[in-house]
Order: sequence, then structure tokens, then C-alpha cells
Amino acid sequence: MRPPRRFEPDAKSPRLARTRVGDRTELFTETVGDLPSVYGERWVHLRGRAFRTFEPARSKLSAGLVHGWTGPLPAPGERWLYLGAATGTTASHVADLVGPNGSVYAVERSPRPFARLLALTGRWPNLLPILADARDPRVFAGLVPSVQGIYADVAQPDQVEIVRANAELFLSGPGAGVIVALKTASMGRHRTAPAHLEEAERELAHVVRRVPSARLDPFHKGHYLIGGRARPELFGAAARRPVTLVRGSRPARRRS
Amino acid sequence: MAAVVVERGIDFYVIGTAPGRPRAFSLGVERALAVDQDPSLDRVPGSLVEELRALPPSTPLAASSRALAASLRERLGRPVELAATDVLRAARDDLPRPEPGAERRLLLALARNALERSLRTPEEILVTLTREEERVERAVGRESRASESFLAVPGSPLADYSRRWATVRLSLEEHHAHLEEEVRAHARSVVPNLATVVGERAAARLLAEAGSLAALARMRAGRIQLLGTRRRPSPDRGPRYGILYRAHGMSDVPPGRRGAYARSLGALAAIAVRADATTRAPIGARLAARRDRRIAQLKEHRG
Repeated sequence: MRPPRRFEPDAKSPRLARTRVGDRTELFTETVGDLPSVYGERWVHLRGRAFRTFEPARSKLSAGLVHGWTGPLPAPGERWLYLGAATGTTASHVADLVGPNGSVYAVERSPRPFARLLALTGRWPNLLPILADARDPRVFAGLVPSVQGIYADVAQPDQVEIVRANAELFLSGPGAGVIVALKTASMGRHRTAPAHLEEAERELAHVVRRVPSARLDPFHKGHYLIGGRARPELFGAAARRPVTLVRGSRPARRRS
Repeated sequence: MAAVVVERGIDFYVIGTAPGRPRAFSLGVERALAVDQDPSLDRVPGSLVEELRALPPSTPLAASSRALAASLRERLGRPVELAATDVLRAARDDLPRPEPGAERRLLLALARNALERSLRTPEEILVTLTREEERVERAVGRESRASESFLAVPGSPLADYSRRWATVRLSLEEHHAHLEEEVRAHARSVVPNLATVVGERAAARLLAEAGSLAALARMRAGRIQLLGTRRRPSPDRGPRYGILYRAHGMSDVPPGRRGAYARSLGALAAIAVRADATTRAPIGARLAARRDRRIAQLKEHRG
């Protein structure tokens, strides 16, 4: 018989729990939403609370936590902006982490996954969907208030630049959190993954005080979790110049 | 009340509050409403909302933005300002925070509208219908094969059941036939040239596999030729055709020449789909004539 499951609260967030099954650690988030499960994850009900498995193979944030991510995490009651929400796999967990008193503004550009995200928001009361291109934050500037953190999983060649534009416009102030799930394969094949990481870290250093990046192998090949806390300079004179990001400004894909 | 007008090439945005709305935002009529309601712009005669409503409903957003920007510039008699990020932030933070329930209702309504707008185009409808048709076709095939095993037993106690099941399958097949007709009709109007060259069904499937007309138009001939291939026929030979195996004329070509025909057809399809995606010039008949000449050539083993 299997030993009874023991939930231990995780030090990183009160809404995060872990169990040990043999030598394996499983992560859970305390859910805000209702069944059915979002992507086939398991639900565990425990003394009136419901938890969902937070699988590292499905979610880059979870993989980062497994690999010892020390950076900011969505805390209960916070507002977060989620760029590149797709069908809402990780977005639903971020919404779990901010809890019923927080909210997550989930931006997705592609209409077909967005249709599934919209269906999901029906049972996730703190998940707010926005059909827009994260590259063009001014389009949803009127819809999103200032937020305590940005999570970005946009898989674009200029992903750090997209994060910067959004951070300038939406972050509430110095110390706000930024997490970027970096996909180096989207940044061109002319450089190795670690070289891409180094470049992205350098660019992101203008936006945040960085924490050590987490490598997401083997769960997500060529991916890294990078981020940190927003720098005060981001809200000073640097913010006085106009946002120059426009559609079509993406650098041409390099072929080698 | 705060309102900021931001011009940026073809688009411009207004953030502000409007009476009766918790938050005015950056799309469509709402953004004109914010301008109309802004006291600092009160001396502007006329109403931007009325002007926007007068535009035909099919006007694309960018065009309506352009009209709105031009109209505003003319009325104000000065260039529209480009707001810096901190101005935009300040304007946004000045807005009263809506109640959570109201904000959620607003965002969900906007999301539904935006989704409907982007999924209602003829191209999107064709992609959706085609994917549906493929799924139903697989179901029909699978179920008819599966039921052969017990239908073949005469006098079986399952006879009653098999009759009932056969009725259900029949209606599924009818449904599929209707769906296919619908897909063909849509393909004729969305990709007329491609449908003439490769046939309506293959045209619809190429489009569904590519995901969008723009994506298909960017593909080169060789990619279109192999679109929809799943595996290599053998380890030492590459695939020759995917969706185009079911294209017009393939069954007329001798088996040994089908790879060559797929190559030619891929090239013609690439030209046809580019016309469909850009000029919409009716070049289908001309390409079909080239295709028929090629079939004749291949039949006589000349190519």
C-alpha cells in the first residue's frame, strides 16, 4: 500500500505545497478554479482545500522551481501580468499562486488557443483574458492596471525587449517581480543556448536586479527561467522616452 | 479625468474615463467616446463616436483608427501628441480602479468580441470547418471498419443492435457529406485559384494544415508538395506527396510518375495560393491548363 500523502507547505509561497513520493518531490498549487482539470493534471482534495499537481514537464515555472528558482514568485493578493498565456496551462497556476484576492491579466495573441483560455477563465474567477499582441502593450494599456509582477513566456526573438516595454508601462514600482521563460531556440540558430542566455541576461539587467537563472533542462530543452526585481531607474528618466516598439519591428530571423 | 492621445504610425490610442463606464479603453468606439467625453477637448465640434459609427461595419480597425486620427488632428488644428511612457502610466494610474466584478465582466465581454472578430473571417471559418471535416471523416472510417466484425455474422443475437448502430453511422455519414459540401463551397470562395488547380478538398486541407492563407502563401513549392506527410515511405526514400496525393489528377497519372506530378502540382499550387492571398487575380484556369498538359505528358512518359 502507498504511504499516506504528506503535504508540506513550501517556503516560497503559502499557496505552494510539496509532497515526497519515494525519492521524488511533487509540487502542488492550491487551486482557485473548479474542475475539470485544465490539462490533465491531478487534483487532490485535503481537508476542504483543493490542490493541483504543478508538473515541471508541462510548465516552465514549475521546472524552474524544481531547479531551485530563487527569484520572485506571485504572492497571494498580487496582480500579475502574464504575457503569452496560450491555452492557460501555466497561467492557471499563476492565478492559483495569487489566490482569490489577486488577479492575473493573461495576454495571448493567437485566437485559437485564446478560445481555450477564454473557456478556462469561466471557472477561474481571478484569471482575466486579453486578446492582444504582447509586443504592443499600448493596445491593452487601458485594460491593465499597474501590476506587482510580469511573467512572460512569449518565445520570440526579441522576447526580452517585449518584456522591457511591458515592464516600463505596467510594473507598479521598484522591486516588482519579473520572470521570463526564455526559449533560446526562438532567438536564432546562429548562437548556442548559453550564448543566447548570456545576451538575454545582459539585456534584462537594464530592467531588473537579476537573480541566478534556472536552467530548465531536461523538462524544457534550451529553456531558462530568468528574472529578478525591477530597478528603480526603470521608473525614472528612462521612462520618459516614448515606447518605440511597433508591430513588424521584430528582427529578421537569421538563417545559418 | 485623464485622457491621453497617442499617435503611432497607423494607430492611436486614448485612455480615459467615460460616464457610465468604469474604464474607457483603447479599441473601437470606446476610444472615440473617451475623446468625446474629455473636457479638455470640449471645444472640438462634432462627435468622433458618430463619425466612427458612420463607417461601414466592415472597416478594419486600422482604417477606422486612421480616420479617427485624421479627424481629430483636423479638429484640434494641431498634430496629435506622442505620449511618453510615464505620461501614459500616470494617466492610467489616475483612473479609478473598477470593482473586481465589473472589471471582469468588461474584460470577458471584450475578449469575446475580439475573439469573434478574429474567428469570423471566411478564412478562419474554412480552416475550422476543414479540421472538423477531417475528424468526422476519420470517425466514419473507423466506425465502419469496427462494425464489420459483428455485422458479418448472420442471425446473430446482436442483429438488433447492429441495425440501430448502422442507422447512427448512416446519419454520421450524411453529416460528413454535408460538411464536405460546405467545405468545398467555402474553399471555392476563399482560395478560388488554389481550388481550381488542386481541387477544392485538397485546397481546403492545405490551408488547414498551414493554419492561415498568409502562412500558406509564404511556403515554397517543395513545402506545399510535402505538406501533410507523416513519415518516409522507406528508410532510403523520402516522401513525395502529402495532401496532394488526393489532389486533382493524381489518379490519372501512372503510379511511377506521381512524384513528378506532385512536384509540378506543388509549383502550380504555390503560384495559385499567392494570387489568392494577394491580388486575387483569376489565374486558376490558366494554371489548370498547364496542369492538364503536364498530366498528358506524364501519361505518355514524356516528362
